Amino acid sequence: MNTEIKVEEVDIYKELKTEFGGLGANSFQGKMQDYVKSGTPIVACTDDFFPELFEAMDLPFYFVVRQGLESAFHAGRGPEAVDGYDEFNGASTLCSLQKASAYLLVKDLLPKPAAIVMTSTSCDAQTAVNELMSNYGPWAEVPRISVDASFEKDEASMEYLGKQWIQTIPFLEKATGKKFDLGKFKEVCEESNKQTQLLFDFQELRRAVPSPIRAEWGFIAYMGCRWSACGRQEGTEWMQRLYDATAQRVKEKKGIDGVTEKIRYTWFDILPCWSDKLFPRLEQEFGAVNLMDLYGYCAPWPSIDTSSLESIFTSMAKRFLIGNPMTRQIFALSTVYGGDAVNIAKNFKCDAVIMPGHVGHKDGAASHKIVKDMFRELGIPFFVIGCDVFDERYMDPEVVYQKISAFFETSGLT
Amino acid sequence: MKSGIKSEVYDKLAGIAGNVSNSEIENWQKQGGKIVGYFCPFIPEEIIIAGGFLPYKIRGTGSSDTSEADEFFDTKNCSFVRHCFNHALLGKFDFLDAMIVGTGCDHTRRIYDNWQVAPLKTKLVYLLDHPRTMGTEGMEETIITYYRAQLAKMKEYLENNFGVEITVPKLRKTIKLCNETRLLQKKLYELRKVENPPITAAEMASVLMAGASMPKEQYNEDLKTLLNDLSSVQGIKKDYQARLMIIGPAIEDPVFYSLFEENGGEIVIDDTCFGARYSMKSFIDEEAEDPLHAIAKYNVSDVPFCPKINGSHKNRIEFIDKMMKEYKVDGIIGQGYVACDPWGSSFGMLSAHMKDAGIPYLRLEREYISTETGQLSTRIQAFIETIGGRK
Repeated sequence: MNTEIKVEEVDIYKELKTEFGGLGANSFQGKMQDYVKSGTPIVACTDDFFPELFEAMDLPFYFVVRQGLESAFHAGRGPEAVDGYDEFNGASTLCSLQKASAYLLVKDLLPKPAAIVMTSTSCDAQTAVNELMSNYGPWAEVPRISVDASFEKDEASMEYLGKQWIQTIPFLEKATGKKFDLGKFKEVCEESNKQTQLLFDFQELRRAVPSPIRAEWGFIAYMGCRWSACGRQEGTEWMQRLYDATAQRVKEKKGIDGVTEKIRYTWFDILPCWSDKLFPRLEQEFGAVNLMDLYGYCAPWPSIDTSSLESIFTSMAKRFLIGNPMTRQIFALSTVYGGDAVNIAKNFKCDAVIMPGHVGHKDGAASHKIVKDMFRELGIPFFVIGCDVFDERYMDPEVVYQKISAFFETSGLT
Repeated sequence: MKSGIKSEVYDKLAGIAGNVSNSEIENWQKQGGKIVGYFCPFIPEEIIIAGGFLPYKIRGTGSSDTSEADEFFDTKNCSFVRHCFNHALLGKFDFLDAMIVGTGCDHTRRIYDNWQVAPLKTKLVYLLDHPRTMGTEGMEETIITYYRAQLAKMKEYLENNFGVEITVPKLRKTIKLCNETRLLQKKLYELRKVENPPITAAEMASVLMAGASMPKEQYNEDLKTLLNDLSSVQGIKKDYQARLMIIGPAIEDPVFYSLFEENGGEIVIDDTCFGARYSMKSFIDEEAEDPLHAIAKYNVSDVPFCPKINGSHKNRIEFIDKMMKEYKVDGIIGQGYVACDPWGSSFGMLSAHMKDAGIPYLRLEREYISTETGQLSTRIQAFIETIGGRK
């Protein structure tokens, strides 16, 4: 049975998607092959490091885990990479995205970096990949810096992390030959602050009833501002256009084209790589609109204080520990994890909350009762699936669809 | 396989290890003593003892199912955490006056969250933030200082909740006490270097487990007696085919050990939580001006650690290589719980290392409590036979 429904975008969003592709192509990651060919020093890092520093140093970098997403799953090679990792006899229940990243690494399919930057978050799977980056094969001798992030979130903890991160500057200068300029760094951080503010403003628009756009735009906005064009004016301008287009739709009280919104829900995890097989069907069958996912959600994300080098890094640490998507929820108490789900449900007027229960999120698996109890108290239907948001072989999207359908029906939402 | 130890003190320690509660705990409580439970080895017993408490390492001994805990934890969580939490929900740990959980892996860390909301008698629960990075050049002191601050907070928590004072002299005294434990355990391990060790791996595990479930002063005395008793034991018959080193999380299931012994393997050394890693490495500086700093340093930098710690793999490999030589190991067993990603990943890397070194290596994924042992036993048998054929 063909379960895919073609999603039509209105013109302005088609343009914004094309421009988003352009941001990606023009990013460090997009030009990676050129850097490899020219022998330009490259940095590999965990996805919880801030790109502002690389941008300021004009230092090409890539997030290893993003490679798993884009070079494996988005390229249709996810299952091959997951199976390839399993042959390596590593962790059988490791997050499939991290498996794919690890596979690319051990198969020598990632550009060899001149330096590695790691931070000790956020989940067990990330630690597993960090250790591979440090120890496996041809990368074993690559200079690396491993920074310890505290679980605590008090001021001393922010200073602890910030103080270590400052050490990445001399490390990167030595390992790559690139020079650090504080003035340039401040400029980039200030541009990044503008982008962050736009992300927040954009999020506010998405509270509207009916929802002006699909949840995927939250993730796209995040990727545009954080991964592709962080601290770049072109990224800010693109984000502004996304904001303006959406504000216009809200003003006109326009919902998603072709969808009569009846059920508002949040998918409280990363959007699945097989979204096309699920969300459009739920829209058409139930008028069910997904409003938010974990990466599309901006929790309180402090501005970078650009008054001094120390203040920049301390505020970066604060942003990282209490704002960074997933780090904020996973590397925190269950009450923060569940609290964010509750805030989304309340602020976005959700009729239901779906927790995919991604197989790689062990901390989430240990929080289900706590979160479930929070929603029971609120009287909002809550459902845990137990799927794999990357590898659809773990649970067929058809099964996920049937489960959600039954959940909507038994919750009296249909 | 039993070594044939004829030692009253061994029988006593084995009895303590075989049950969650024991007479030492009961006596301690009768005398008004308080007990503090904890989960991971980086939570320093030294501080707990200096507060006048009995530290108790949580374990799921005797657990047979996880049905109560499964309301709180998913089957994607490791069975160690689920069995232990099941015990807690059944009231097996009601003797605890407080509980300390560390920010280790994603599974154990969530014990803290669930403990707070579960209907448990022990209401005091503390989360200790342990660094998850080691070995970064130039950052070691920063990380130690951070952990020292976290230990000071834990100390204050105990002081404030129980009206005790944990002073520098008390800390120095308990560091000395715990160093003595490590030294005695090391001597016990060294007995296993010989061809016919006087104590088996399962018996050794019981002795170590008991040490984390009773007053340390008494335990040290018992260890001295045991060492004396073992000096007159002839040793187990050398009918094993392979000397093995076992690596991974704590093994608290006697059935698992028996699978090796039944198939002709003798585990002579380990790198497990609460095992050799705890007693074979360096000791805490007894003369340090700042004992908390010394404790922090030991737990951050000196002990080859849990794979949840970034940078630990290198240390682990060094430790394993050293122990293999000292204990004349024929093969390596990497064993870990299903769903444990840090150990699972570490075993993948270990496999590559052992392949390069030409050392026989077997990876076993298991549950905390062995139920289906047939397949495990077959794999162990095949592995040991392979080694036997090479010798």
